[in-house]
Amino acid sequence: MTILKIENLACGYNPAKPIIKDISFEVEEGEFVGIVGPNGSGKTTLLRAVAGLLKCQQGSIAISRHKIEHLGRKELSRRVAFVPQLMEPVEGFSVEELVMLGRTPYFERFSFEKADDLEAVKWAIEELRIENLAQRPITELSGGEFQRVAIARALAQEPKLLLLDEPISHLDLRYQVKICKMLRKLRAHRSIIATFHDLNIASRFCSYLILLKDGELIAEGSPEKVVTPENIWKAYRIKVKVKSNPSTRKAKYVLLP
Amino acid sequence: MIKIKKKDAGIALAVLLLLLSAATVISFFLGSVFIPPSELMKSNIFWQIRLPRIILSALIGLLLSISGVILQGVLRNPLADPYILGISAGGAVGAAVSMALGAQFVVLGMSSVPATAFIFSLAAVFVVYKLSQVAGRTSSETLILSGVALSAFCAAILSLIIILTGNLQSIYFWLLGSLSSASWGNVLTVLPYALIGSGLSYYYSKELNALLLGEEMALTLGIEVEAVRLILITLASLMAAAAVSVAGLIGFVGLIVPHWVRLLIGPNHRYLIPVSALSGMLLMVVADTIARTVLSPTEIPIGIVMALAGAPFFLYLLRKKRVEGK
Repeated sequence: MTILKIENLACGYNPAKPIIKDISFEVEEGEFVGIVGPNGSGKTTLLRAVAGLLKCQQGSIAISRHKIEHLGRKELSRRVAFVPQLMEPVEGFSVEELVMLGRTPYFERFSFEKADDLEAVKWAIEELRIENLAQRPITELSGGEFQRVAIARALAQEPKLLLLDEPISHLDLRYQVKICKMLRKLRAHRSIIATFHDLNIASRFCSYLILLKDGELIAEGSPEKVVTPENIWKAYRIKVKVKSNPSTRKAKYVLLP
Repeated sequence: MIKIKKKDAGIALAVLLLLLSAATVISFFLGSVFIPPSELMKSNIFWQIRLPRIILSALIGLLLSISGVILQGVLRNPLADPYILGISAGGAVGAAVSMALGAQFVVLGMSSVPATAFIFSLAAVFVVYKLSQVAGRTSSETLILSGVALSAFCAAILSLIIILTGNLQSIYFWLLGSLSSASWGNVLTVLPYALIGSGLSYYYSKELNALLLGEEMALTLGIEVEAVRLILITLASLMAAAAVSVAGLIGFVGLIVPHWVRLLIGPNHRYLIPVSALSGMLLMVVADTIARTVLSPTEIPIGIVMALAGAPFFLYLLRKKRVEGK
């Protein structure tokens, strides 16, 4: 089933200079899509457009066949959740209370947590394996712990599409792998799109890669198809050799001396 | 934790309610004249002067506290208070203009000075909001900076009016804040703002909670941020303007109470709003009782009492928060 369909999308902050120029692609249920590309290639802008934070200047974005401008904020927020690169920790909240904010799209007036909200929060906390942190104040968490809390908060929205902006770029290697493994598991019953800087990690864990350069899509497909010396040269102007990781058989680039 | 917080808030509400009742009852008897309990019910001073004044002080405490909670939440700035968007400065100019012209009229149950202060307060916020709108959008920073700029401008106009009319004393007393003109009429004037304001702000506690995560995150949680912000700023301004128009400028209530309550029970607006409302009422009833009894028969303007007690207390809260944060 197609979760996300983007057709001829152009968007940006200045109508005269769109950052994303004429991009089309589709994301099926169960995919873990990595968006890669150099700084300034439009990765974050593309995610923000899908999250409904930026208006399309041209083309369309559809979530499960509904155009996002017709969905309205509330309906969109029940389908799409967004984890920003840096989320502000709310002073005075526990992990559980922060995750509960993810239920906002489901709250009715004057009534807050209902049984299914508590259940969704419990589920999200279990999926991210942060049960031991549930009662801790958010301001006391490490970067890696906080990132898992931020993802749990988005998951509590029960989205069909989970968007993450550079979810691992400020984490140590252990947490990078840990978060990616969790995301790979979470893609069942939904789709995940995340931006990455590390091509090797992206090709190791994502099922599908999209390579951007200057707001244009220059390659898409399986990691083997996208991570090639030619594509990397086109995008980054760096010469690399691509090897297949002997144990995972995933493509992996190595810098040439 | 969610359940524990609920219990905390429940306990806080119960304790505050108890303290508020106690403070109210004690203040019935205190004042320039002590009324013995046996004569309380027959006393004109009690029915016509003291009771409306106590109720008015409680209502103003509620209005300023909730207004502070809303503005700190919407503007996402801990320094925000009911006056940050120009309410106080606008109100002061309004009061000064009305006093200078010696105008006598009654609108919506308000006499000329409160009515003019009310209108000027709201006009100031409107100007600040419009000034901070760029391409149909506002940001918290531009709102706050526009508020600061307009306040400075209004302060200059106020000084000009004072110099031109030489009418320093009455304006000065208004600026210090006082409840000495309390009457049942004043109580009825601010009551609707207190009732509707508390109800509506509680109605929007979900939005205020989502805004804790930032404007963009609130958008992705399905909140129409721009519309909600306009509604909440309007609400907070109406509440603060109503308070200012009858009591002048009483500082610190709207700044301290939300901070104190957040330390006590956390930032969830579902609990923050009712607990702040009661705390504000308690604070004002106590402060006004002090204002009218300590130097009796002379009355200290309540603004002075609040600033004398409030500024050190605010510093204490800041230090406590920093120590606990470590």
